[in-house]
Amino acid sequence: MARISRKEQKAATEQRLVDTAMEFFAAHGFAGSNTADVAKAANVSHGTVFLHFPTREALVLRVLDVFGDRLSVAFKTAMQEDLSLEGVLRAHLSVLRECEDFYARLVQEGALLPPQARSYLFILHASVSNRLHLAALVDSAAGNMRPIKQHLLFNTWIALVHYYIAHADIFAPGDSVIATKGDELVEHFLNLCRK
Amino acid sequence: MTDKCASCHSCGFPMEKDDDFALGDRSQPYCCFCVDSHGALLPYETVLDANAKHYVQSQGVSAGAARSMAAALLATMPAWRDRPAA
Repeated sequence: MARISRKEQKAATEQRLVDTAMEFFAAHGFAGSNTADVAKAANVSHGTVFLHFPTREALVLRVLDVFGDRLSVAFKTAMQEDLSLEGVLRAHLSVLRECEDFYARLVQEGALLPPQARSYLFILHASVSNRLHLAALVDSAAGNMRPIKQHLLFNTWIALVHYYIAHADIFAPGDSVIATKGDELVEHFLNLCRK
Repeated sequence: MTDKCASCHSCGFPMEKDDDFALGDRSQPYCCFCVDSHGALLPYETVLDANAKHYVQSQGVSAGAARSMAAALLATMPAWRDRPAA
């Protein structure tokens, strides 16, 4: 059996802590989770958490960093199939659907998180905004789309999506609000944009 | 979802295609936006301005908020994390 080096073991433990923390934050929120809970769920000692992350904030930021990277890659991958405006909207929803519980916590508690945490979300948003803008330019050139500034196009979309996610408990009790309402939101948004 | 991809050590931009990397070279730690035509990392203020401008353009946030968020993000990046606080 191949032996695992100390470095590999450390990396594996850190990855487990990050994955566990992500699940914990999704289930209980950022404010409702502490490092002792994460340590217990990851089956490590409380002190082990601090060997990898000197503070709770460092753990939160690492989780958000990993989450942001995964989301960005997933969005780019989903985008490769369809670059139309509808394709971008559906790709965005598909990646959010994969992590809907965690993302909902970000929407609900984002303003309370450290500034770096909000920056990670803004990176993803900037990417989605750019893709929407590029798709809209194509439709505008074809005469099918109203002229809408890039940031307003994106903000209108994200406001719609975030409103439904933030109130998922009333729009889709016990279910995924993206799976339940996603088609309707895409159709409505396209109707708003198109001539 | 897929695993973590390469990201720029200066601004965090996810780099997938050859063109995303500085000089089109996948061994480079920085993205094509954070370097000059010779592949040298641009000054901090230039990178900060570009990131803040990107936030304003893509999401319409105020220039001050965009600059604060960009600075908070850059402070976590390998290229800038050891930079003395202003």
